[in-house]
Amino acid sequence: MRAGGGGIVVRFTLNGREVEVTTRPNATLLDLLRNELKILSVRRGCETGECGMCTVLVDGLPVRSCLMLAPQVDGRSVTTVEGVGDPERLHPVQEAFVEAGAVQCGFCTPAMVLTAKALLDRDPNPDERTVKEAILGVLCRCTGYAKIVRAVRLAAERVAGGVRE
Amino acid sequence: MSSSSVLEEIRRAEEFLVVGKGVRRIDALDKVTGRARFTGDFVLKDALHVRLVKSPIPHGRIIEIDAERALSLGPVRFFTAADIPGENQVGYALPDQPLLPADKVRYVGEPVALVAAPDEDLAEKAAELVEVRYEELPAVFDPLEAMERSDVLVHEDRGTNIAEMTRVRKGNVERGFEESDVVVENTYRTGHQEHAPLETEGAVAIPDTQGGVTVIASIQYPHLCQRITARVLGLPHSMVRVVQPYVGGGFGGKDDMGPVVSAMAALVAFKTGKPAVLVYSRRDSFTSTCKRDPSVVRYKTGATRDGRLKAIEVQIILDSGAYANRGPYVLWRATMHAGGPYEVPNAKVDGFLVYTNKVFEGSFRGFGNPQVQFAAESQLDELAERLGMDPLEIRLKNLLRPGSRTITDQLLESSVGIYEAVKLLGEKTGFRAKWREYRRERAGRVRRGIGIACGYHGISTSRGVPDWSNATVILGRDGSVTVETGICEIGQGSWTAHAQIAAEVLGVPVERVKVVGGTSDAPDTGATHASRGSSIGGIGVYVAARRLRERLADAAARLLECDPSDVEIREGRAFRRDNPDDYVEWEELVQAAYGMGYEMSATGYFFLPKGKFDMERGLGYAYPAFSYIANVAEVEVDLETGKVRVVRVWPALAAGRILNPVLVEGQIEGAIAQGMGYALTEELKFEDGRILNPNFTDYLIPTSLDVPEVEEPIYVEDLYEYGPFGAKGVGEMALIPTPAAIMNAVKNATGVRITEIPATPEKVYFALRRAGVVAGE
Ligand code: FES
Ligand code: FES
Repeated sequence: MRAGGGGIVVRFTLNGREVEVTTRPNATLLDLLRNELKILSVRRGCETGECGMCTVLVDGLPVRSCLMLAPQVDGRSVTTVEGVGDPERLHPVQEAFVEAGAVQCGFCTPAMVLTAKALLDRDPNPDERTVKEAILGVLCRCTGYAKIVRAVRLAAERVAGGVRE
Repeated sequence: MSSSSVLEEIRRAEEFLVVGKGVRRIDALDKVTGRARFTGDFVLKDALHVRLVKSPIPHGRIIEIDAERALSLGPVRFFTAADIPGENQVGYALPDQPLLPADKVRYVGEPVALVAAPDEDLAEKAAELVEVRYEELPAVFDPLEAMERSDVLVHEDRGTNIAEMTRVRKGNVERGFEESDVVVENTYRTGHQEHAPLETEGAVAIPDTQGGVTVIASIQYPHLCQRITARVLGLPHSMVRVVQPYVGGGFGGKDDMGPVVSAMAALVAFKTGKPAVLVYSRRDSFTSTCKRDPSVVRYKTGATRDGRLKAIEVQIILDSGAYANRGPYVLWRATMHAGGPYEVPNAKVDGFLVYTNKVFEGSFRGFGNPQVQFAAESQLDELAERLGMDPLEIRLKNLLRPGSRTITDQLLESSVGIYEAVKLLGEKTGFRAKWREYRRERAGRVRRGIGIACGYHGISTSRGVPDWSNATVILGRDGSVTVETGICEIGQGSWTAHAQIAAEVLGVPVERVKVVGGTSDAPDTGATHASRGSSIGGIGVYVAARRLRERLADAAARLLECDPSDVEIREGRAFRRDNPDDYVEWEELVQAAYGMGYEMSATGYFFLPKGKFDMERGLGYAYPAFSYIANVAEVEVDLETGKVRVVRVWPALAAGRILNPVLVEGQIEGAIAQGMGYALTEELKFEDGRILNPNFTDYLIPTSLDVPEVEEPIYVEDLYEYGPFGAKGVGEMALIPTPAAIMNAVKNATGVRITEIPATPEKVYFALRRAGVVAGE
C-alpha cells in the first residue's frame, strides 16, 4: 500500500488474480469493487452493515464490504461470486441453489452463495441450525430462507457425502 | 377456434409435459453466478447522480427554496416543481400527488427538490446544502382524529380528510343480529408495513437522439411508468421507452414507486441531456416510499347457536398518509373481502380512506385484504369460543362452496376449493386434538398453541373493472421462441411460468423459450400485481402460442402428408399421431413453415369478461375468481418476555392449477415469512410524523433464525376456466391469513386475544399482564 496523488494504491488478490488499484483512502471495499472494478455482483442494500448484500470473502471469511475500507484488503485475498463459479462450471453451492429453487429475485443470492461456501469450507457437514446461524447476517425478503437452507445442506451432502440430522 | 374454447380444451387435458412440473427458473443461472444486472448496475459514463432534498416537517407551506450554496460546490444541477415541463401529477386513483410539490409539503421525507452531480459524494453534499424555508402548518397523524377535523386539512381543496368511502349493503343486518344467538364485537388495529425489498427503488434515465428518453427501472408495470413519465415530461407516450432489468423484490411497492422514481430520473435526463441515475438509499426507501396502510377495523359478528353466521357489521378505516395513491382501490378490496371466505347472509360494511400527515401508503402484497382478514378470522375464533366450538368446526360450517354467494352477492359457480382445503388441512395437522391439548395444558413459562385462519383473494382488478391479457410470441428461423410481455419478473418467477406455458403449447423444451418482459416495447399487459402475473398475464402467451401451433400443425401436415388434426408436436418434434417414426424436427418445421409463407409471429390478446357491479350498494360482480388459502400455525409464547415464536406453519392452497410447484412453494414460504414479520416484529415507529426507525437494526424483518418450518403445502386444484391451464393467482395468498393464524394460536396458548399487530413482545407481555396470565410487578 502506498499513497500517491490524492489516492492510495492497494494491491490484493481478486478472485485469484493480482490487482493493483488507486483509490481514495476513505473508500469502502464496496465502492472499490463496484465503482472502480465493476464487480457488480457485490450489492448495495444499506451501506450501514445491516443487510449483508455486500458480502464478499476476505481470506475466505465473509465480510461486509460496506463496512471495510478499501486499503484494509491490501495484501489479502478477496473472493466475489464471480470467483466461485461460472455458468459452465458452477460451484456445488450454486448448483444446489438452482436445483433447490433457492433463488427468487436474486438480489441476495451472491451474498448467500459466498456465505454458504465459506461455511462449507470450514464445516463440510453443518446441521440445520448451523446453516441458519451462518446466513443470519444476510437478509432475504423473498424466500423465507427455507429453500436457501435446504440448498446449503444439499450442497454439503454432495461435497461431503452426508449431513448430520 | 375461439380462445375460450381453446382454454376449455387445455383445462381438461390431464397430462402435461412442462406445466405442473418443478421446471428450473429460466433466470437461475444469471442469478447464482452474479451476472444478473439490477437498475443500479447501469451507471453509464458521464451519468449524473441524483439525490433527493426531503421535507423535514410533516406539514407546511414552501416559502422559498435556496440552492445557492449547493450550486457553488461545483457542477451541480438543481430541479424543483418549476422545472417540470409537463404535468406535475403522479397521483394514481386521484389527481392529488405532485412529483415535486410546488406549494406545500405533506409528510416528513417528501421529496421537494432534486439535486444532480457527476459524482455521488458531491450530489450528496449538495442535497444537504439546499435550504428550504417553510411556514409550518398544524398536522394530523391519527386517522380517527383526521376524519373528524376540518380545521387541519392535508388537501384543502378537498374540504375533508376523507379521501374515499366505500360500502357493502347485503340483506338486512338488523334482522341478522336479531336472529343471532351470540354477537361478538371487537376493534382490531394493524400497523404500517415497509416492503423492504433488498434492492431499493431506482431508475436510470438515458436521453435519446429524438428528444425522448429510455428508462431502466425497478418497476412492476412498464406501461404505467411510460404513461406517468411521459405526462411529467409533456411527451407523447411513444417517446418514453421503459425497460426493466432484474428487479430485487417488489411486493407491490415498486408498482407504485416505479413510475415516480422513473419520472424523477427522466426529468433530470431530459433537462440536462445526460444519463441520470437515481437509486434510493435505504433511508429514502424507508422515509419516502409507500407502505402498507395501517388500519382500524371495528367488527361485529352474529351467529346462531349451531354456529351459522348470520350477520356482520364492519367499519374499516385505512390511514392513507399524505396521498391517496392506490388507497381507494385498497379500500375497495378490503371492503369486499370483509366477510372472509364464508357465507354471510347479511352484511353491512363501511370503508373510509383517510389522509394524515405521514408517508403515503400503497400497494403491498394482499392489498388491504390482510388487514380485514386479521379482524374477520380473529372474530371467528372468538365466536367459536362463545359457542363452545372449535375453530375448525365453525369454519367448516360456514366456508364458501360452489354455488355460494359472497358478501357482494356474487354467485360463485365453480373453482371454490377452500372447503376441501380446510378439511384436508385439519386432518393433516391433527388440528382438533392439538388445539384441545394445548388449551387444557396451559402451564409453564413457555406455552404452546395452534391456530388456523383462512383467506381468499379476488384475482385481477376489483369491482368488475375489465381486465385483459396481451403478449407476442415470435419464432426465429432457428426454431428459437421469444415471448414478449409487459409482465415483470420481480422474483416471483412469472417469466419461467410464461416460458412453461409457451413450451407446453408449442411442444418444445422450455430451454428454447426466451422471455422478454417488463418492457413498454411489448404489448401493454397490465401490471404485475393482484396475483395476475402468471395467471392473467399467462393467458396472452397461451393464446399467441396457440395460434402459432395451429400454423405449425398445418405446415407439418403438408410435410408429413396427413391431416393437421393428425399432427402431434411435442418435445421438439412434429409427427403423425399414428406413426411417431414419421417426424420432422422442430427447426426443420419452423424453417419449412417460413418457406411456405406462414406468419411465424402472433399476438395473443384476451379480454377478460366480467359482470356488473353496483357501487351504491357495493353489490355485484367483484372479481372473476378467487384464490383461497388456509394456514395452520403452531407457536410458542414466552410468558416472561412476551415473545412469540412461530414454530411451524402448514399451508393449504386452492389456486387452480399449480403451474410450477417449486415456484409456488417459494411464494408461499416467502409470504409466510413476510406475514409473520407483519404480525410480530415489523413496527414502523413515528414521532410527529417522522419515522424513528428507518433502518434494518430497528425495523425488524425476519432473519433465517426467525422463520418457522413451512410444511409442504396441500393443493386443491380447483381449476378456473379463464386461467392458463386453469391457474389462479398465488403470489399474495399465504401472507393474508398469517397474522390471524398466529394470533389465534397465541390465544390457544394463553387464553388471551391480541387485537393489535405487530404483536411485539412488549405488547404481548402487557396484554398477558392485563389479563392476569402473568403477575404484574
Ligand atoms: S450494504 Fe447492507 S450490509 Fe453492506
Ligand atoms: S431472493 Fe430476493 S432477497 Fe433473497
